[in-house]
Amino acid sequence: MKEEGIELIKDGKRLDGRGFEELRPMKIEVGVLKRADGSCYFEIGNNKALAAVYGPREMHPRHLQNAKTAVVTYRYNMAPFSVDDRKRPGPDRRSVEISKVSRDALDPVILTEYYPKTAIDIYVELLQSDAGTRTAGINAASVALADAGIPMRDIVSSVAVGKIDGEVVLDLNAAEDNHGEADMPMAMVTRTGTITMLQMDGRLTKDEFERGLKLATNACREIYELQRTALIEKYSESVGGGEE
Amino acid sequence: MYKVVVPGDLVSEEVARAGDGTYVDDGKVYAMKYGIVHDKGEIKVVALTGKYMPTNGDIVIGKIIEISFPFWIVDIASPYEARLHTSEFSRGTERRMDFGSMSAHLDLGDLIVAKVLNVDALMRVDLALMDEFRIGDQEGRLVEISHTKVPRVIGRSGSMIKMLKEKCNCFIFIAKNGRIWIKGREENINLALQAVLMIDNEAHTSGLTDRVEHFLDQSCKKKRMESK
Amino acid sequence: MGIEVMEDIRKDYVYDLIERGKRVDGRGFRDYREISVERDIIIKAEGSALVRLGDTSVLVGVKLSMGEPFSDTPNKGVLMTNAELRPGASPDFETGPPNENSVELARVVDRGIRGSETIDLEKMCIEEGEKVWMTFIDIHALDNDGNLMDAAALGAIASLLNTRIPNERYGLTGEDTLSIRDTPVAVTMVKIGENILVDPNLHEENAATSRLTVISNADGTVSGMQKSGKEGLKEEEIVEMVGIGIEKAGEIREKYLGDK
Repeated sequence: MKEEGIELIKDGKRLDGRGFEELRPMKIEVGVLKRADGSCYFEIGNNKALAAVYGPREMHPRHLQNAKTAVVTYRYNMAPFSVDDRKRPGPDRRSVEISKVSRDALDPVILTEYYPKTAIDIYVELLQSDAGTRTAGINAASVALADAGIPMRDIVSSVAVGKIDGEVVLDLNAAEDNHGEADMPMAMVTRTGTITMLQMDGRLTKDEFERGLKLATNACREIYELQRTALIEKYSESVGGGEE
Repeated sequence: MYKVVVPGDLVSEEVARAGDGTYVDDGKVYAMKYGIVHDKGEIKVVALTGKYMPTNGDIVIGKIIEISFPFWIVDIASPYEARLHTSEFSRGTERRMDFGSMSAHLDLGDLIVAKVLNVDALMRVDLALMDEFRIGDQEGRLVEISHTKVPRVIGRSGSMIKMLKEKCNCFIFIAKNGRIWIKGREENINLALQAVLMIDNEAHTSGLTDRVEHFLDQSCKKKRMESK
Repeated sequence: MGIEVMEDIRKDYVYDLIERGKRVDGRGFRDYREISVERDIIIKAEGSALVRLGDTSVLVGVKLSMGEPFSDTPNKGVLMTNAELRPGASPDFETGPPNENSVELARVVDRGIRGSETIDLEKMCIEEGEKVWMTFIDIHALDNDGNLMDAAALGAIASLLNTRIPNERYGLTGEDTLSIRDTPVAVTMVKIGENILVDPNLHEENAATSRLTVISNADGTVSGMQKSGKEGLKEEEIVEMVGIGIEKAGEIREKYLGDK
C-alpha cells in the first residue's frame, strides 16, 4: 500500500489538520425519509450516507423465510456520482462483500426472534464517499433500525483506524486510505465492548493493532453518543409537553 | 415528562419489574426499543414507531385478500396475515361450508371487524368475527394510521375520540391495528378524516387536543358561512 | 399489504375531495408543493442538485469523463442520462436492473435536455473522432411521494447549470464552465375525474387515470412530452395542459433556476 513520496503527516498533524486521535466532523439526522419505516442520514467528513429500513415485512420469495427468525438483508450502494470517477450503477464484488460484513455487524443486536418469517431490509446509499463509507453506512443503518421500531439489544457504532507514515491514526480520509500502510474498519456495541465487525488490510504489528483497537473503541463511544442524542432529540422536544 | 430511550439504555436495576419492550442482561433491565418508558408496576418501553403485532384479544379491522378453503386470509396491517375459519359462520349449526359458498359470505376485498383469537409460535394468527363484523362497502370510510398513534386518537381517557365524534357528528370505530372506521354524512366523514390525519401527522406534539378542537371549530364555522 | 389496503381507501378519499374542488394537502389544482433546490452539495460530482417537491426528494449528480465519440457523431460529446429508483425511496421499489419506470424517468429527462439542445454537444468535442467529453446525468430518487419526474428534470437542469468541466483532472486547459443554452423545465399533470391537477403527490398519482408531462423551454417552446396512464386524454385537454405546463415552467424557472 505504501507509496513513496507522499507525506501524510506534517509537524505532528495530518493533511486535513487533524490530530492522530481525531474524528472528522460528523452530522446526523433521524427520520429523514417519508416512505421508509425508519431512516437516518449520517455524514462524517466528506462521506454522506443515507440509510432506509423496511420491516419487519413479509418475506419474498417465501422459500427464503426463516420459520424462527426475521431475515435481515443489507444492501450497500454507491451513487454513480459519489466518487471522482463515475461508478457504474449496480452491485459489484466490493459492494456485495461490504453488504455482507455490514449485515453481520448489525445482526447480533437485532432481536430477530420476535418476527419469525419476516424480512428486515436495510438499504444504505452512499451519496458521497471519501474513505470510511462502510462504517458511515453502519452508523446510519443502526440508527435507522431503531427509528423503524425494530427491537434491538443495542445501537452499533462503527469507525476505521489505520496506519499512515508509521503512526496509528483514527478515521482515515481518502488520501490517507490510498497512501497509508494499513486500514482497519470495525464496528462495536460500546455498552458491552462486543466487536461485531472487524476487517483489516495492510500491515500492522500486534502492538499497533492493540493501540488501534483502543483508539477505535474510544471513537465508537463518541459516535454512539451522537447516535443516541439524535434519536432522543427527535422526540423529546415534541413529547415534552405531552398529554395523552 | 416522558422519558425517551433507545435500545440498550439502562431502564432499571430491578429485574423483577422488567416488562414489555425491555430485556435483562447481567442483572439489569435495558430497553430493547426506541420508545417511552412507562414506570408503573412493571417497567415497560412503549415503542414510538414500528409495525402492528397481533396479540390475543385485540380488535382489528381486516381485509379479505385470499380465499383458501377452509380459511379466508385476512390482511391486518401487520407483517403477518391472519386467517378466519369457515366455522365462524356455522357456529351452532350442523351445516359445513364448502369452498364454492365461501365468497357468498365474505369476498375478496371485504372489510371485517374481528378479534384476535390466537397467535401461535409460528405467528399463525386466528381471528374470530365480532357480532357486528361486516363493514358495509358503501357506508362510511376507512383510514389507516400507524398503530402506535392509536392511543393519541383515543386521547386521555377517551377525550380526543369523544371530541371527534361530537364535533364531526360521526360514528368512529378505532381498531388496535391502526385502522379507523368512520360513518356519517359525507362532509362529516371528510372532516373527521382530516382531523385523524392531522393527529397522525402531529401525534408527538403537545397541545394536540386543543389544536384539533380549534381546527374542527374553524372548519364548522367556515361551512356554516358557506352555506349562508 | 397494508399499503395496498390503504391505497384503495385513500383513492376514494382523494377522488371525493377533488370532486369538491379540494386536494388532500389543501393545495389548489394548479399549485406545486413546496419546492426546494440545493445545488452543489456533492463535491465529488461536477454538478449536483438536491430537489425536494414536498416529501419527494431526488438527488441528481453530473459526472464528466473523457471518452470516444459515437461513430456517427464524431464531433459531438456524449450525453447519457440514468435514473435509479433506490429501494429506500419506496417500499415498492426493488433492487435489481432498471425497470420500466426508471427507464422512462431517465429517458424523458434526457429528451427534455437533448431536444432543447441545452448542452452544446459540439463544444464538448476535444478531438474529432477521438476524444470527447461524456456527460453522465445520474438521477437518484431518494424518497418518492409522487411526481419524481418534475423533481428529476429540475434536478438535472439545476445540476447542469453548475457543472464544471474537469479539464485539470485530464491535463487539459480551457473553459471550465459548461455552456448551457436553455433551461428545460418539466411540468407533470394528472387527470382525476374531469379535473387536471399539477404536481400530483403519491396518493393523487395512484388515483389518476392519466398523466402528462410537458417539458418547455425559456422561449416557451416545448421540447419533450410524455403521456402515460390507463386512459386517454382529449385533444382540448392536452392543449389546455400544454398551456398550463408552459406557464408553470416559467414560474419555476424564474424562481429556482435564476442566478446561482
